[in-house]
Amino acid sequence: MPTSDDSIKQILQSLQERAKELNCLYRVDEILNRRDQPPENVFQQLIEAIPPGWQYPEVCRAKVVVNGQSYTPADFTATEWMQCADISIEGEAVGDLTVCYTEKRPAESEGPFLLEERRLINAIVERIGLYIMQSRLRVAHASLHQALEAPTTAQPWGILLEFLQRTDPRLLNRITRKMINNLCWHGVTDAEPLLQTHLGQTRSREDEQPDENRPMERWQLLDESDLTRRTFDIAAENLNEAEIVQCIQEWINEEKSTVLIKSLENPGTGLAELSEAVERFESAGIDESALPIAVQTSLKVALLRRFFVDSLDFINVAKNFVAVRDFYELTQRVIHPARSQGKLGGKGAGLFLATQILKRSTDNTNLLSNLKTPRTWYVASDGVLDFIHYNNLEELYNTKYMEIERVRQDYPHVVQVFKNSRFTSDVLKGLATALDDFDNRPIIVRSSSLLEDRAGAAFSGKYKSLFLANQGTKEQRLAALQDAIAEVYASIFSPDPIEYRAERNLLDFREEMGILIQEVVGRRVGHYFLPACAGVAFSNNEYRWSPRIHREDGLVRLVPGLGTRAVDRMSDDYPVLLAPGQPGLRANATADEVVRYSPKHIDVINLKTNSFETIDVEQLLREYGDEYPAVRQVISMVDQDRIRPPLPLEPDWSHDDFVITFEGLIGEGRLVQQLGAMLNLLRDKIGMPVDIEFAHDGEDLYLVQCRAQSYSNEDAPAPIPQDIPRDRLIFSANRHISNGRVADITHIVYVNAARYSEISDIQHLRSVGRAVSRLNQVLPKRQFVLIGPGRWGSRGDIRLGVSVTYSDINNAAVLIEVARQKGNYIPELSFGTHFFQDLVEAGIRYLPLYPDDGGIVFNEAFLTHSQNILPGLVPEYSHLADTIHVIDVPEQTGGLVLRVLMNADLEQAAGLLDEPGLPVGPVSPPTRPGGQVTEQHWRWRLRMAEQIARLVDVTRFGVKAIYIIGSTKNATAGPASDIDLIIHDAGDERQRHLLATWLDGWSGSLAETNYLRTGYRTDGLLDVHYVTDQDIADQSSFASKIGAVTDAAKQLAISSAS
Amino acid sequence: MTVMTKPFSSFEMAQTQFDRVADVLQLDQGACELLRNALREFSFAIPTRMDDGRIQVFRGFRVQHNDARGPSKGGLRFHPMETLDTVRALAMWMTWKCAVVDIPLGGGKGGVICDPHNLSAGEQERICRGFVRQMGRNMGPNLDVPAPDVMTSAQHMLWMLDEFEAIHGSHQPGFITGKPIGVGGSQGRTEATGFGLVFTIREALKELGINARETTASVQGFGNVAQHAIRLYTQIGGKVTCVACWDQTDQTTYAYMKHAGIELDELLGITDRFGGIDKAKAQELGYEVLPGDAWISQDVDILIPAALENQIRGDNAGTISDRVKLLAEGANGPTSPEADRILHDRGIFVIPDLLANAGGVTCSYFEQVQSNMNYYWDKDEVLGKLDVKMTSAFIAVSDLARRRKLYMRDAAYLIAIDRVVRACRDRGWL
Repeated sequence: MPTSDDSIKQILQSLQERAKELNCLYRVDEILNRRDQPPENVFQQLIEAIPPGWQYPEVCRAKVVVNGQSYTPADFTATEWMQCADISIEGEAVGDLTVCYTEKRPAESEGPFLLEERRLINAIVERIGLYIMQSRLRVAHASLHQALEAPTTAQPWGILLEFLQRTDPRLLNRITRKMINNLCWHGVTDAEPLLQTHLGQTRSREDEQPDENRPMERWQLLDESDLTRRTFDIAAENLNEAEIVQCIQEWINEEKSTVLIKSLENPGTGLAELSEAVERFESAGIDESALPIAVQTSLKVALLRRFFVDSLDFINVAKNFVAVRDFYELTQRVIHPARSQGKLGGKGAGLFLATQILKRSTDNTNLLSNLKTPRTWYVASDGVLDFIHYNNLEELYNTKYMEIERVRQDYPHVVQVFKNSRFTSDVLKGLATALDDFDNRPIIVRSSSLLEDRAGAAFSGKYKSLFLANQGTKEQRLAALQDAIAEVYASIFSPDPIEYRAERNLLDFREEMGILIQEVVGRRVGHYFLPACAGVAFSNNEYRWSPRIHREDGLVRLVPGLGTRAVDRMSDDYPVLLAPGQPGLRANATADEVVRYSPKHIDVINLKTNSFETIDVEQLLREYGDEYPAVRQVISMVDQDRIRPPLPLEPDWSHDDFVITFEGLIGEGRLVQQLGAMLNLLRDKIGMPVDIEFAHDGEDLYLVQCRAQSYSNEDAPAPIPQDIPRDRLIFSANRHISNGRVADITHIVYVNAARYSEISDIQHLRSVGRAVSRLNQVLPKRQFVLIGPGRWGSRGDIRLGVSVTYSDINNAAVLIEVARQKGNYIPELSFGTHFFQDLVEAGIRYLPLYPDDGGIVFNEAFLTHSQNILPGLVPEYSHLADTIHVIDVPEQTGGLVLRVLMNADLEQAAGLLDEPGLPVGPVSPPTRPGGQVTEQHWRWRLRMAEQIARLVDVTRFGVKAIYIIGSTKNATAGPASDIDLIIHDAGDERQRHLLATWLDGWSGSLAETNYLRTGYRTDGLLDVHYVTDQDIADQSSFASKIGAVTDAAKQLAISSAS
Repeated sequence: MTVMTKPFSSFEMAQTQFDRVADVLQLDQGACELLRNALREFSFAIPTRMDDGRIQVFRGFRVQHNDARGPSKGGLRFHPMETLDTVRALAMWMTWKCAVVDIPLGGGKGGVICDPHNLSAGEQERICRGFVRQMGRNMGPNLDVPAPDVMTSAQHMLWMLDEFEAIHGSHQPGFITGKPIGVGGSQGRTEATGFGLVFTIREALKELGINARETTASVQGFGNVAQHAIRLYTQIGGKVTCVACWDQTDQTTYAYMKHAGIELDELLGITDRFGGIDKAKAQELGYEVLPGDAWISQDVDILIPAALENQIRGDNAGTISDRVKLLAEGANGPTSPEADRILHDRGIFVIPDLLANAGGVTCSYFEQVQSNMNYYWDKDEVLGKLDVKMTSAFIAVSDLARRRKLYMRDAAYLIAIDRVVRACRDRGWL
């Protein structure tokens, strides 16, 4: 930090200089914008306005020369202390600007001139050039207009040509050539000699070029004007006036577009120049639609490619819905480093395209007329490379090739390094401008990775999105925004995406990542900020809860507050599900279901603490209900067992019982129709199913994101092989099929429909449900299917389906209901409605089978005649072996597994025996802290527990047995879960103490390993419960788990006395 | 092991139960035939216009098992696999249930084969109105009174009531029960079942010569019934030391134990609306968290299963503490026959579900009475009258059990069936 007065003075001085320069530039702009004044006046004023921008205005003089005409102040004298810049239009010099000091001044970077003054002079000549070009165009345009207005005047195009001859002879030459070509093309034989002349000359010029360049050119020029005259004479004979005028007009426009086309075609053009070219195109006032279609298309395609992606699919669609003008609006909000070559990334592309499609929709229903998109700024994708380079962080590129543990260990450090790094001044300026635009409304910083285009949108959840409250002073807000962008950048080097990329061979791809800074849709509620509702919507409904819902009816996941809770599957909460094509059919029919499966939490931005928070939605409403946007359309009243809209005097927030249903928004608010219309329009125009994110602030619906509907591997349509050998096919299905594939199923639990229906005793029927529940605990999680008759979990008559609750089946991979014909009717299946939303949130697939349909395979022989391992697995239920068959598939088939393939496009599904192992494993859903449970957590924990049991010194510690209970045993362990052990010991105090110390060591090191694997920090991972012989005899507390009927502790093998 | 030949039929099971009692009562063949089957059964079509313009025909049922003691009373179910067999069994059960608490109503049940998950609200409304158009002439405040049941709610009942009143051109709120307060509903409906349960517990303790103030109880379930039962039981001086409930997050049940006695309001403050207690907060409040099935092995005087059916079974009845003297069945069918035998052998006094949870149906009766006279009582009056009804019902059953040395469950059936037979006889049907 400079502290002395001197340096402060220096800084102040330099700031004053910058201010002077800026003022000068503003003044120049002001003068050049006076279109009502003749050019002489304008230039006269200019030479007075320029000197004050220089460091020593009192001795500074300026001179402008344009088209040979020179403008100088009376006391101008050329001196040795001067600086000069050319004024040019499309590369052709039309004059220059000279600035000189009349007296000597101290030396700076360029003689006595500052570096900034060089920049200033360049900026001024550029503006003058633009001014001259615009004047020329205006003149040309005016004369054209005049000519068209007064058709009696001979040859209006003649006037046009005359003007061009005066203003832009080179353009006239090009137009002449185009006319010759045009005439020849139309078969005008008179024009052919002209073409010859034209070509001949070109050739001769080429021949002579090395020797006599200058004289030839002069000669040519003369000839060109003659050529023009001759050409248009012929044209006048063969074409009518309107045709000629139209041609000329089109060609002029085309010529004016060349700046843009040139900069687009030049791969070296940076975003800055490109933006400028787009801006020039815009300010040139060219009527885009008047350009030849080919030029229009070429421009749009090049712009799309340059700003977004190379993907042909995208460009093919997008080119039909965009205009160059749209890019002008876009470039106003693009932040990029100097010389940026970056793009805006996948998310930016999707939103841009969808916005344009919606803007151009001819909407008769008025559903989409008020649709909005939130204000969005973009940071170009190479911003991150620039950032890394500017801060010398290149070594990070090696990170991705390290072991994943190392990556995880380094990551918190990387985040801090990024947060403490600086942005280049170009980017900073851009961010500051963006913040001015957003004012102090909350914003979200999203990644818009180029990898999304490569790896599919499934990748998009891998990088961070951060909400910013955007409160406080400008400095604080800017600091917070920089912090957030740095953190999003750092997420490139976070372990999850690196692991994901490694699995898919995408590691070598460059780390380019665009950033979207979007205004958060919402309102202030108390000290929180949130939208009335938000969510995601899909064109294709892959989770249908009723056979009346078709796949094309779509699916909406709707939550109160920020949409983050709708995007990911949640383990502890439920979004409201809707099918826009069938808005009346709800997943939840009874009041109990509506309440049970309603959103309980809400994601908000806390404006007080400047943070993103998840809070209890009921509490929020009880406190600030009346401030919540459109609250009466968001909630319904719970009136004992009835759900109904609030009455005029309701709700009384402190007493009434209410539930989030969005009924009002769905009904009167037409939200579902709007979403449906939007999904349909986008699907039709883009030509493929889409998924969108949206938000509603209580008044308007906003489209926040749009992309082609993505499938994780588990819900992509699975190709179904047509040549499955009959003995390998276990079942096939062709009704109400969703997409998906479930690989590597090792166990089948089959409840024999015929046997089940023969059971005459209700206890016996109930015990089938309990046996299933037991199997759910002992079979490997997500590796078994349940196949059973009728309706799983039927709450009515137990004969109609096995009586289970969700917790009795929650480890299954697939739930299959079999509808066998009974007499002359086929029973209706449940579609899992009793726990539908639980199935959805847990990713458990549902499949209905109709074995009596024609052409359907149902290999009952395999299911009933394979060896039944039920008695060995759960001996207490061996009496049900007639009814429940449990098949160990690999054991039975010599190592094969069951694979369930479901393809909604073909409306086909098959369960077949196949070799284990698919090329790509199941994709873990995007993770939320504390949310998803992934497979590896419990498997690893179980392995460690087994290891502990094997290694424990039973004589030294007096251990009799070790059991595992809780989430590890039940395969529900998450990244932060404990390992719960019950240790049956008969040792003395000392032995117990030794054992505790030994286990403490394990606990600590397991916690550390778990941290490296998952990023979750815990004090210890083991939760040990000691029980004695007495406890077991008494069946007290945890001892009751040993040998319990339900959820019994699992005994681990310990080494015999060593 | 049972020989699996004939499929399970709930109606046959209900008939078998009746036959056992009929033997004890030595009913003649005519009485048996009348009461083994329903008096009237209706099966009819409900053509309904769907949202897409199609007509779909739904099948409706209504069974009036016996109305010798008064208008039939019973729920209306919407279920896709509804069968006449189930409806018959449930209608019979309603006859006995009304008779055991001695309210002047008969038993009925009905349903429509449909799945509300596949129907919009408008379609469900049209089915409800269609049901009344078909069946209205055979129902009414003095004939047959429906109530909400599986997958039907007060909303369905109000649609039906509206259609019924439109057809008859008059207000007849007594046509239906389960109505919201303000549209002919009764105060005290939420409390009725839980309070009724404790009224019978109080009487049972008196009979056993135990001072309620010196008793402790363990409760399974923490829903509406359990919460109100705990409140009243605590008010009469008892102490609940353990309550078991479902934990949605962990997908399992836990038992929350406090030797000093649980604080109901404290627990309610950390309970969701489904009766799920927040485990972590309970621990903070000093509750010991045990596996869910620990509720049954608690060292208490009274066990109150008030959650699901089939919770006390042969496999866990053995863990019941020697101290337990009373078991009050707040839930429907919480005890399996095998466990029932064990309880009987151990001399544990059982208040059977038929009697113990009849507070609900009694309150429905009160609602109907109030609707018919268009005069509505305040809550204290409703609960006071409930106390009288439940107490006298309990005394009648336990008197009989004592006099005839019967197990309470058998005595309850006996008294119920006996009352129905008497009414039939008085009317000259038998």
